[in-house]
Amino acid sequence: MDWGEGNWPASLQEVIDEFSDVFDAMERYEMLFDFASECTPLPMEEWSDDTRVHGCQSEAHVLCSLDEQGGFLMIGSADAQIVQGLMAVAQKAINGLPPEEVSTFPVTFTRELGLHDSLSPNRANGFLNMFTRVRQEARKLAQGAA
Amino acid sequence: MDLQALREQFPTLRADEPLTYLDNACVTLRPDSVIDAIRDYYTKQPACAGRSPHRWGTAVTQMVSRTRRKVGAFIGAQPSGVVFMRNTTEAINQVASGIDWRDGDIVLTSDREHNSNLVPWLQLERRGVIEHRPVPSLSDNSFDIEAFANACADAGDRLRLVSLPQVGNLDGVEIPIREVAAITHDHGARLLVDGAQSVPHMPVDVKNLDCDWLAFSMHKMLGPSGMGILWGSDDALDELEPRTAGGEAVVDTSFSGFEFRAGPERFEGGIGNYAGIAGTEASIDLLSGLDMGEVREHEQRLNRIIGDGVGGISGIDVIGPQDAAARGGVTDVLVDGCDVHDLAILLDEAGGILVRSGFHCVNSWFNERGLDEGSLRSSLYLYNTEAECRHFVDTFTEVVNAIR
Repeated sequence: MDWGEGNWPASLQEVIDEFSDVFDAMERYEMLFDFASECTPLPMEEWSDDTRVHGCQSEAHVLCSLDEQGGFLMIGSADAQIVQGLMAVAQKAINGLPPEEVSTFPVTFTRELGLHDSLSPNRANGFLNMFTRVRQEARKLAQGAA
Repeated sequence: MDLQALREQFPTLRADEPLTYLDNACVTLRPDSVIDAIRDYYTKQPACAGRSPHRWGTAVTQMVSRTRRKVGAFIGAQPSGVVFMRNTTEAINQVASGIDWRDGDIVLTSDREHNSNLVPWLQLERRGVIEHRPVPSLSDNSFDIEAFANACADAGDRLRLVSLPQVGNLDGVEIPIREVAAITHDHGARLLVDGAQSVPHMPVDVKNLDCDWLAFSMHKMLGPSGMGILWGSDDALDELEPRTAGGEAVVDTSFSGFEFRAGPERFEGGIGNYAGIAGTEASIDLLSGLDMGEVREHEQRLNRIIGDGVGGISGIDVIGPQDAAARGGVTDVLVDGCDVHDLAILLDEAGGILVRSGFHCVNSWFNERGLDEGSLRSSLYLYNTEAECRHFVDTFTEVVNAIR
């Protein structure tokens, strides 16, 4: 499946629709924080050098695996609410997809939330680093599953 | 000071909905006159100084020497002591690399240094050239003159250099440089002052400071990026070996030797940043027309609005003295329960307010205290208004509550 603009997984499209109904920037962030608070975090005892995402201004960790159906499963945690919120949206975008689809999933979905342009270079790059890491993990899992 | 007329001179402040710029300790806004001067250099006389005899070369040579004179006058100095550099960092590095160090030399700094006045000394220490000793501040970051005097006494005749910021970029705290100079000189050492956060904001006269070198950056005082100043007394400059040797730094060369020029040009080898020097002249012209004492009072008055407004919020810890006036135009806060980068992004998103989050290049201060989250800093300048400060306080309160 070639995911991209106009063709997102239904769970992500739902999130994009919610964001597109909001015109006030502050409200969009508050919505992102709501996603952050609903997200299941990676427990701190599982944080390690292996899970750490380098390049984020704040500490961020991700752990990737396959669920019982063989779908991709990413769990993540970040000190910063914005990164945690982006992780929560990313979970809705990619969790459950075949890992080979996650390995090429476009990061451009964040633009459709109306937040991407406002993120500072460091923060945006931090999320990009995290998502790049997730795609690399997905590639490894896809190769392992093949 | 006619604030409205002043603000009219800045393109970014003339916008229909101007952003509230409170990151002035990093870089200030630039007025039309500075932007025009830079453009004029490239469009009217894009030549070099001190070399070519044609009309453009002559005009640029005159502009450079005029700017040197004006910069000197702005800090109460002769033009012969004014060296054009890229920024404060380069100026400090010139001193660090230019001194003929002796075995066992000690350099004292404060314990709240910008990396630019720390790393050069740590580099020298790592190479075994000097010993660096940070002097502890009082608990509210104020300068501890007794601790400093004791540190000088401890260093004894090994004390070679004291290098201190007149005003700290972390907290706006001012160090009594004149008193420091007296103690330093009593020990036969030199005093280098980092004026990056003082020269733009208050009256500074090197004769009153009695320092040996003063370094500051034009981008923090309405001027161009890539321009800084190293001022030195005649004998202090004579003590330095130029670190950038090259064209126009020398009187003559042969295959067996060379002779440096006597003037400040000996530290300015190579083609200079003439557009930057032209912009420097324009910024100094603007600032010279103002009462810098009034600028300082204006910033202190505004800083009280911010300090009182955010200091009272639960979980907010103001770095430095609690009296806002003692922090010049800086209010830097540790925020419990919020990521400071989130806060900075939301201040921008929700209120069009631009501030700095992180460690402000003073990592060592945070590391000493085990603070790995950084802080959020607002820093004022002469064009900021009371309305902007109230807007900051209101928006800050709103976003802190939203995140928590």
